[in-house]
Amino acid sequence: MKPNDIDPPPVLGSWGRVYAAVCLYLIVLILLFALYTRTFTP
Amino acid sequence: MRTLDWWVLCSSVVFIIVYGLWRSRDTKSVNQYLLAGKTMPWYAMALSIMATQASAITFISTSGQAYVDGMRFVQFYFGLPLAMIIVSATAVPLFHRANVYTAYEYLEQRFDAKTRALVSLIFLIQRGLAVGVALYAPAIVLTVILGWPDQWTTIIMGTIVVAYTTFGGIKAVTWTDFQQMLVMFLGLFVSLGMAWRLLPADVSLTDALHLAGAAGRLNAVVTSFDWNDRYNLWTGLIGGMFLALAYFGCDQSQVQRYLTGKSIAQSRLSLLFNAVAKIPMQFFILSIGALVFVFYTFEKPPIVFHQVEMANLARTGEYAGLSKRYDAAFERRREAARRYLSSRNETSLAGYRGAQAEFESTRKAGIKLVEKTSGSSFNDTNYIFLSFVLGYLPAGIVGLVLAAILAAAMSTISAEINSLSTVTVIDVYQRHIHKDASDGHYLLVSRLATVFWGAYAVVTAGYGRSLGSLIEAVNMLGSFFYGGLLGVFVLAFAAPRVGGTAAFMAVLVGEAVIFILHYTTGIAFLWYNVIGCVVVVCTGWLLSAAGIGRRLAA
Repeated sequence: MKPNDIDPPPVLGSWGRVYAAVCLYLIVLILLFALYTRTFTP
Repeated sequence: MRTLDWWVLCSSVVFIIVYGLWRSRDTKSVNQYLLAGKTMPWYAMALSIMATQASAITFISTSGQAYVDGMRFVQFYFGLPLAMIIVSATAVPLFHRANVYTAYEYLEQRFDAKTRALVSLIFLIQRGLAVGVALYAPAIVLTVILGWPDQWTTIIMGTIVVAYTTFGGIKAVTWTDFQQMLVMFLGLFVSLGMAWRLLPADVSLTDALHLAGAAGRLNAVVTSFDWNDRYNLWTGLIGGMFLALAYFGCDQSQVQRYLTGKSIAQSRLSLLFNAVAKIPMQFFILSIGALVFVFYTFEKPPIVFHQVEMANLARTGEYAGLSKRYDAAFERRREAARRYLSSRNETSLAGYRGAQAEFESTRKAGIKLVEKTSGSSFNDTNYIFLSFVLGYLPAGIVGLVLAAILAAAMSTISAEINSLSTVTVIDVYQRHIHKDASDGHYLLVSRLATVFWGAYAVVTAGYGRSLGSLIEAVNMLGSFFYGGLLGVFVLAFAAPRVGGTAAFMAVLVGEAVIFILHYTTGIAFLWYNVIGCVVVVCTGWLLSAAGIGRRLAA
């Protein structure tokens, strides 16, 4: 294979955007878990 | 186990194995046997990667972990999505372009033969130790169900896995993993649903969560920092990321999954699917443990969850007094829980927490009595979920949940045996013992190596008995070695001026530092991954800058 052998991702247009979306997802998930902990732990 | 459970369990296992062997029927060369001819689609790799990580330990030990320690274990996975991004962007294209069978083969292209040999050896030691523990976990399940000695159940389980892994190679492993992961998802959702449904009629899901939260079982995010605390946001994000980087970037049992991909894009998609799906999956498994905790707040659990040890405990002279105290502590906790649910205020909360502490202390007295009677350490975390499944779930569902646990076990063991045999053949046998043999010869040796590692796993599985929570044991074991492995790959990818001798010396220094830290400090094991990696990178860079590597090589 050659350095230009990477197909674009099926969504979001570029791999950089896919990575950014995964980072955003992680932040949202941690915030939701923190909210969950605070809601049910007195 | 009822007849319907046996039907569900046996038919699931047989179907998965037959399907895996059928999909791998055209395996005729080493490339097909070890890399599936690089033909796998992303969804098969994605579920295979998840299945490889999700062992029986994940099911039985993680849910038990939530029961005794709460949900803070989920933070362990917070660094995984970040690691997936880094591995996708760096290691995946490099390994694909290098056209290698193993990650360690790449190290010879980048450094030299001795660095490849050292890192391969570290992998064989580390993964070889872990495969026995992975095989012991399902033996616990079968021992509890059948009442057979765990040596027998280990041999039966090991034989089944070795049979399909030996015949079908990685294609059989990947397609059985795919099916096994689907069974696991089903088992997971059914278990969670049943744990919810079995709560008392007047206890809603919200009530259950309030009770679990008040008892400290819903601590999914802990922001305080402590070097000695195993699970908090920071150990998860930083230590967990380094562990996942090492696991997915340097551990052949994972690298081999995505090396089977049709293209770089397909391999990346498989890893990013894990980045998205892994944390919710662990959250659901831990939620089962938290709900089982609430279930046992209203339904009296045994003092210890290991049936045989419970029977031994009942024969001791101290049991009558202990049992009386335990029953009273359970009743007080149940009443305190009801009072807390009817009016959630400071007084009822203090009452509930006090009753919970008293109940836990009585249970600990029971565990200490078991240890005193048996003369060895005892931990029943791995038996909590099983005790719930076998005691309270209806016919058919028990079979499904057990099928999910065994599927999880088989997927992990087969992947580990497959990767161990790949490294043995490619990095040891083909590189150092028999260089120019025919393809058929290497295919035969690969199958023999698979049988060897399967036998090794069976022999070493007995050590799992003394390790307490198996999920922690496996992760701790990995952390001893992963930092060093990751460090040498960081040098390979990001430090082009560092040569083979400097990298080799750096790995040795990194491993020595980790072992010294383990025996002299109380630092939480997740930090070993960070420290090991940093020490290897800094040592390699310094040795190279000082020209020591070149002088030693000369």
